[in-house]
This record gives sequence, structure tokens and C-alpha cells, in this order.
Amino acid sequence: MAIIEIYDLIMHYLVIIFATNDFAPWIRGVLGGLVIGAVFGGALVMVYLERKFLGDMQSRIGPNRVGGRFGVLQLIADAIKLFTKEDIIPAKADKWLFIGAPIVALTSGFLMVAVIPFDLLVIKGNEYAVAVSRMDISILYLEAVSGLAIFATFMAGWGSSSKYAVLAAFRNVAKMIGYEIPLGITVISVAVMAHSLDIVEIVEAQSSIWFIIAQPLGFVVFFIALLADVGRIPFDQTEAEEELVAGWATEYSGMRWGLAFFAEYLHAVVGSFIVTLIFLGGWNGLPIVGNLYIPGIFWVIAKTIMVMMLFIWIRAALPRYRIDQVIDIGWKVLIPLALLNLVWSTIIGLLWA
Amino acid sequence: MAEIIDNFIPVAIFIVFGLVIPLAIMFIVKQISPRSKNPIKFTTYESGSVPTGSANMMFNVEYYAYAILFVLFDVELLFLYPWVTVYVNDSVTTPGFTTGFSILAMVLFMIVVLLGLVYEWKKGVLEWVR
Repeated sequence: MAIIEIYDLIMHYLVIIFATNDFAPWIRGVLGGLVIGAVFGGALVMVYLERKFLGDMQSRIGPNRVGGRFGVLQLIADAIKLFTKEDIIPAKADKWLFIGAPIVALTSGFLMVAVIPFDLLVIKGNEYAVAVSRMDISILYLEAVSGLAIFATFMAGWGSSSKYAVLAAFRNVAKMIGYEIPLGITVISVAVMAHSLDIVEIVEAQSSIWFIIAQPLGFVVFFIALLADVGRIPFDQTEAEEELVAGWATEYSGMRWGLAFFAEYLHAVVGSFIVTLIFLGGWNGLPIVGNLYIPGIFWVIAKTIMVMMLFIWIRAALPRYRIDQVIDIGWKVLIPLALLNLVWSTIIGLLWA
Repeated sequence: MAEIIDNFIPVAIFIVFGLVIPLAIMFIVKQISPRSKNPIKFTTYESGSVPTGSANMMFNVEYYAYAILFVLFDVELLFLYPWVTVYVNDSVTTPGFTTGFSILAMVLFMIVVLLGLVYEWKKGVLEWVR
């Protein structure tokens, strides 16, 4: 059991850093950079997994040259390529919007990372959440800062003065305003069952029954709306290669494109974390492990990787919708279903109270 | 109050990270990437031909119907957020309320919002191509 003792030791120091009030919040924020780094690493893992698994699902090999048989160093090669490529800002582009868009997208991703809890530790009777910042409105805050990403795509599309990019930006706004609503309503349904807007308390409310079982309809609606929100494949009309070249990122090149691309994956990873935390029970483990003690952070990460795999699987399996179909699904199917689920979860929430 | 501000100080630092990291990366790129001054490179991409007209086009005025509906629903969502924390024990947490008052109020409010949605639906506002 040495591993668990080492884990407890590490977690003890993490708690001292993140959760005690002896340390100034400044220090917590600066050390939170490590968490950003970890989630950055998670996004890199997702890019690699996506290329490898898409290759397998489409009967090809995927990356297999750089770094041994499995191409594990492919991403480093790509990074070197992006760093050494020429950075072009088109002459007709609105320079400030063009430069600002990737920054806004990345900042939005970083801000979402700030409230994600990874575990809840009980030390000497006190509860400590392993998170950079624990707010009592963290789920509302997540909704708010994820909305910033819409501005990023519109800034990029409008700022680059390209017809493809502008069309993609319009599509993106039309899609987002339809899908923010079912997303918000299902998040509220979860909060209704947990009687709280704090993600830590939402996860704790799932210790007996996960919300995917308590409200399966809510999970389906939330997952579809999340796919649209992060622009994954059945809903990636904003960068449909066959119609719009590369959508709102058409004029971006080199590392500036890399930043925008990376911000998208950051949103996908954070989205997987949110699904894990509010529907899949977060750090509540499965009963199959019996008395074996598995630290909560491993559960969170394992479930998050499962959700990422689901994203990749859906990308390989489904074709892309037309834009008018997407708008129809959002307004005419998901919103009524989300409201129905809200009624259901309110009734259950009253019974459980 | 001080505790709430403490919770948001890491957020402020993360905003600084979000500004500094992309700028630092772009600074490094500027040092090591090649540069050329060929003006053809700085034209807008339009499938290889010379771009015509302006890209800052106008959009359909019917687009606004979606935007107005969105505002309607978003305000509704904002009312729901504080409601979820009090709806069970509103007579305890909110002086002057009788038990179940907030649920009744929310049901009435939702009926009004739903009537609006049904009306827009019947009017055909939710059709992408009209």
C-alpha cells in the first residue's frame, strides 16, 4: 500500500497549497498554473488519442513514424513545425480582432479550468476540495465563461474579412444561441436535484446515485448540447471542410492557428470534465472495487478519458448535419426535452429533500 | 465578502495567464519564424482567385427573431439559477414566504415563457429558411 501512502502525502501538500487559508489566494492562483499545465497536457493526450483512434476506426494506421511504432512524439514534431512557420496577418483583416480572437478563446478555456474540482479530501474532519478556486456558484460561473468562446469565433470570423470565415461566424452564433439554452436548462436540472450551484456539492449529492441514472434524459440532452457547444463533429458546421474551407480559422496560419485549435481542444477536455462531474458521479467510485481504496482523482480522470473516447467515437461514426437541421434540433427537440427533464428533476428533487 | 473576493483572485491571475501565454508564444514565433514581403501572401483566401467585393456582408433580418428568443430564454435561465437553491425550503430561508410559494411562482412563470415559445413556433419563426 505504499503507493496510496505516497498519494496521500502528495495530496496532503496539495491541500496545504490549495485549500488552507494560511496561503494567500495569490499563491494559489500562481500555482494554479500547474493545473493549467496539466489540463494542457490532457488536451495534448486527446489530440494524440483522436488521431490514433480515428486511424484505427478508419482502417488506417495513424501517426507511426516519430517516436517509435506508436508515434508518441508526433505532437512534438507538430509543435516544432507550428513554431517555425511564418505568421501571416492578411492585409484586409481587422488586425486587433484577428490577434485578439485566439487570446479570448484560450482565456475562456483557462477560466473554466479554475473551478474544476478533482477530488474532495477529508482531513481531520475538515473537507478540502482539490481545486484552484472553490466558489459556491461554480456551475453558473462555468456557463458564463464558456460563453466567452462565442465571442472568440465571431471575432476571428469577422476580423479576418474572408467570406468563408464570416459565413462560419454567422453559423456559429446561430448555433450557439440555440444550444446554450438546453445546456443551461439541463445544468439547472442537475442543480435542482443537488440543491446547490457548487460543483463539489453536486458531486457529493451523487454519492448514492449518479445523475446519469436519476435523469437519463437530462444526460442525453446535455451531451448533445455539449457536442454542439464545443463544435465536435455532428455539429461542426462552423469549420466544415467541404463547404467553408476551414471555417472561421481559414485565414489563420502557423502558431496563431495552433492557438485557436488548441483552445478548441481545451474546451473539449473541460467539457469532458464537466460531464464527468455533474452526471457521472465525479470522484464517487463504482462499487465493483469493493474495499480497495482508489483515490478520487483517478476516478475523475478515468471517467474523463472515457468521455473523450465517446467524443472521438461519435466523430468517427456520425456524418455532419446541415445547418438548418442543427437549428431545428436545438430549438424544436432539445429545448422541449430539456424543459420536460426540468419538471422531472424538480419532482425528484422535492421527493429527496 | 472577503472570502468571495479570495475565491476570485485566482480567476484574476488566470486572466493574466490567458493574456501572457499567447503573447509570449507569438513573441517566440516572431523570433524564429521566417518572414517574406511578397504582397500576394497577404491577400484574403478565396479559392485561389482574386477576392471580389467586401466580406463584411449583411445578414438576414429574420436572424433577429432567434436572437430575441434567445434573450427571452436566457433571462428565464437567470431566474432559475437562484431559484434552485431555495425552492425546497423557501418558507425557512426566505421570511414571508409560505411553503411551496416559489414552486408555484416558477410554474406560472414557465407557463408564460412556454406560451411564448409555442406562439413563435406556430408563427413559423423557428424555420431557418422562410
